Amino acid sequence: MSQYYKDAEDLYRIYGYFLDRVLKDEKIGTKMSKAGIIIKFMYTDPDAEITIDLKNPPAKPGYFGSFYLGPCDLKEDVWSKQPADHSHRFWHGLENPIAGITKGIIKQGGKVTAMLKLLPVIKPAFQLFPVALKEMGLEHLIVTKK
Amino acid sequence: MKGNTGRIADINLSTGNVSTLQLPEETYRRYIGGSGLAARIFWDRADFSADPLSPEAILILMNGPLTGVKLSGVSRMNATARSPLTGGIAESSCGGYFPPALRLAGFDGLILSGRAARPSVLLIENESVSVRDAGNLWGMGILECTRELHKTYGKKSTSLIIGPAGENGVPFACILNEAHHAFGRCGMGAVMGSKNLKALVVQSGGGTLSLADPDRIKSLTRKLNPRIKDYLISQVLHDYGTSGNLEGHMYDGDVPMRNWTSNYDEEMAGALTGSTLSETYLKKTGTCAYCAVACKRIVQVEDGPFAVEEGPGPEYETVVAFGCLQGSSDLAAVCKAARICNDLGMDTISAGATIAWAMEACEKGHLTKEQTGGIELKWGDMDTVVHKILPMMAARSGALGSLLSLGSAAAARTVGADSIAYTAQSKGLEAPMHDPRGGHGHALAYAVSPRGACHVQSAMHFMETGACNYPEIKFEFDLEALTHEKKAETMVLAAAIGSIENSACLCQFADRSLTLPEIVELINAAAGYGYDVPEMMEAGLRAFSLKRCINYRFGFRAADDDLSPRIKEPARDGDAAGIEIQFDRMKKLFYEQMGFDSEKGVSSREKLTALGLTREAEMIWPQT
Repeated sequence: MSQYYKDAEDLYRIYGYFLDRVLKDEKIGTKMSKAGIIIKFMYTDPDAEITIDLKNPPAKPGYFGSFYLGPCDLKEDVWSKQPADHSHRFWHGLENPIAGITKGIIKQGGKVTAMLKLLPVIKPAFQLFPVALKEMGLEHLIVTKK
Repeated sequence: MKGNTGRIADINLSTGNVSTLQLPEETYRRYIGGSGLAARIFWDRADFSADPLSPEAILILMNGPLTGVKLSGVSRMNATARSPLTGGIAESSCGGYFPPALRLAGFDGLILSGRAARPSVLLIENESVSVRDAGNLWGMGILECTRELHKTYGKKSTSLIIGPAGENGVPFACILNEAHHAFGRCGMGAVMGSKNLKALVVQSGGGTLSLADPDRIKSLTRKLNPRIKDYLISQVLHDYGTSGNLEGHMYDGDVPMRNWTSNYDEEMAGALTGSTLSETYLKKTGTCAYCAVACKRIVQVEDGPFAVEEGPGPEYETVVAFGCLQGSSDLAAVCKAARICNDLGMDTISAGATIAWAMEACEKGHLTKEQTGGIELKWGDMDTVVHKILPMMAARSGALGSLLSLGSAAAARTVGADSIAYTAQSKGLEAPMHDPRGGHGHALAYAVSPRGACHVQSAMHFMETGACNYPEIKFEFDLEALTHEKKAETMVLAAAIGSIENSACLCQFADRSLTLPEIVELINAAAGYGYDVPEMMEAGLRAFSLKRCINYRFGFRAADDDLSPRIKEPARDGDAAGIEIQFDRMKKLFYEQMGFDSEKGVSSREKLTALGLTREAEMIWPQT
């Protein structure tokens, strides 16, 4: 039972709002777009799927990439699967992805080195995630360091 | 004996006498092999009053029980001696091709003592060792010497070679295999040079391995090789080399810049990181024997002041030591500096760190133009570094070359003006390019490491970054990099695991995904030790404790388990800015958990005795 998400729709609503901001962000978005890959994030509890396209021209003007909530036909270059709650804490900067992979919490495949290169780039987004939650009136979902 | 050959060549270069040391199987079992076994032999054989560069000093090269097994990352080798740089135990590890060749030539290791009357080459083939004249090779750079030895002894021969720095006694001179794989740290090249030994050549390693359980080894290699290759860290290493995550390290505050005064420069990190190297100068990848990870870089810089022919490229440590640390973003200059250091036979960490210290000393006016012989050392002036300073250091020529050839701690003591405060070292060994302020466990690991500041003598580096999970020994928790919490108890485990890895001669990168039970299984299948995890952990702890006892005999005490002030200051920028390392607290807790005496810095008599180090206990704790 997820601590943070009621169901997949709830997850899509939150990540949709957050990714909208990230992919418009001049500093983060520009660097992310240089990765030139399509990433598929798969979540468990709740089961959900989000694809971020940093390879094709952005679908909307003003964005540095596109994202799709739910299953989509784009063929990913790299995929990552993890519990939704782990991802939620990750976007707060509270989970070490290397430790997650070592312990088998995060599974991944494809061009994983390309995704690893994105890690430093997305680090500033850790500050945006709690801000996004607050803007959505979801302060109770903000996780703080113990 | 299985796995190991049971034969260690004992060579006195003064007399030319060669004999074979055959230790009881139980000794191998108690010390695993590699660095543990070498430490055992060192304690038993070394003259502790001998100068590290005297004929009385010994140099030990030792394989591990898995050397020669066709599995990624298990065919490294250890070198042990007294360090001319620190005065304490010197240890270094090297991959490449020499270790399995030596085993297949019939030896687990070599003990070198004495001094040859003239420059010599040691030739090893089919269970025999002979000393040959090396007159024409003395003074030669390592690249040319490697080619010459291949011409003389055949393409299949493989050698360990020193360069001019080793011949000239530079205390951080290294030994190289195939001009690419280094016994980098602690000055092993100077020790070898002091013996008038230019090279060791294995001409023919035509033997076969005699394994305890060949079928089990076959099934283990079949299972583990693909997994090692597919592991995330291996993929990063393969695609981008050891500097593949330089940018990520920089964001974590792990990368020292401008002589450890900064940890944050996005542009510099981007210019020097592994993917940039891949996109610019990488020609192909290289590897060590039987390793599918292939983290080595073969580079070429086609033109410009730092042009280099296609050949060995820089590792992470070299990229940072001759890039970030010296305030340079010039990757071509890094490639050139790496090639020159390899050719002259100098450790890139100590050389780069000493130059970075000198840059700050010049900036502060502590190092004057009179002392530098008129040479101006400025941040990022890689033309001066590459074309003037490095050759002068190896030749120990000129005022500046002589000074910097001492290493940073001794150079700072010569210069005075409190310049020791901005060296970055422990026990006189320059710190590697991982800043303890970005991961506080490193501070403890560097300080208590027997050889001095080092990130590969223990497993702390990987445990702190989350790359290890050892449920069998209750290491299942995450560590917060920027606190002291849980670091002392982690270090107790990290010290034993590091000793296991260096004694079994495993590659700490390629074999990161191996579990402890898998390492046990591999050692048992190869050498028939019959270990379980607790017994292997105890062997690791025994080796670590023995090395501490060796340092005690060299005069090191608890107070020497310290870091120079610069790397204990809070970081000035990046994520770690302003956070103080609780060093004394971590050290005190570690000492308590290890049962170390707070003055002597070694385990109690009871603890040493319990580890089977009875003679050591009696010497250090004599009963009145």
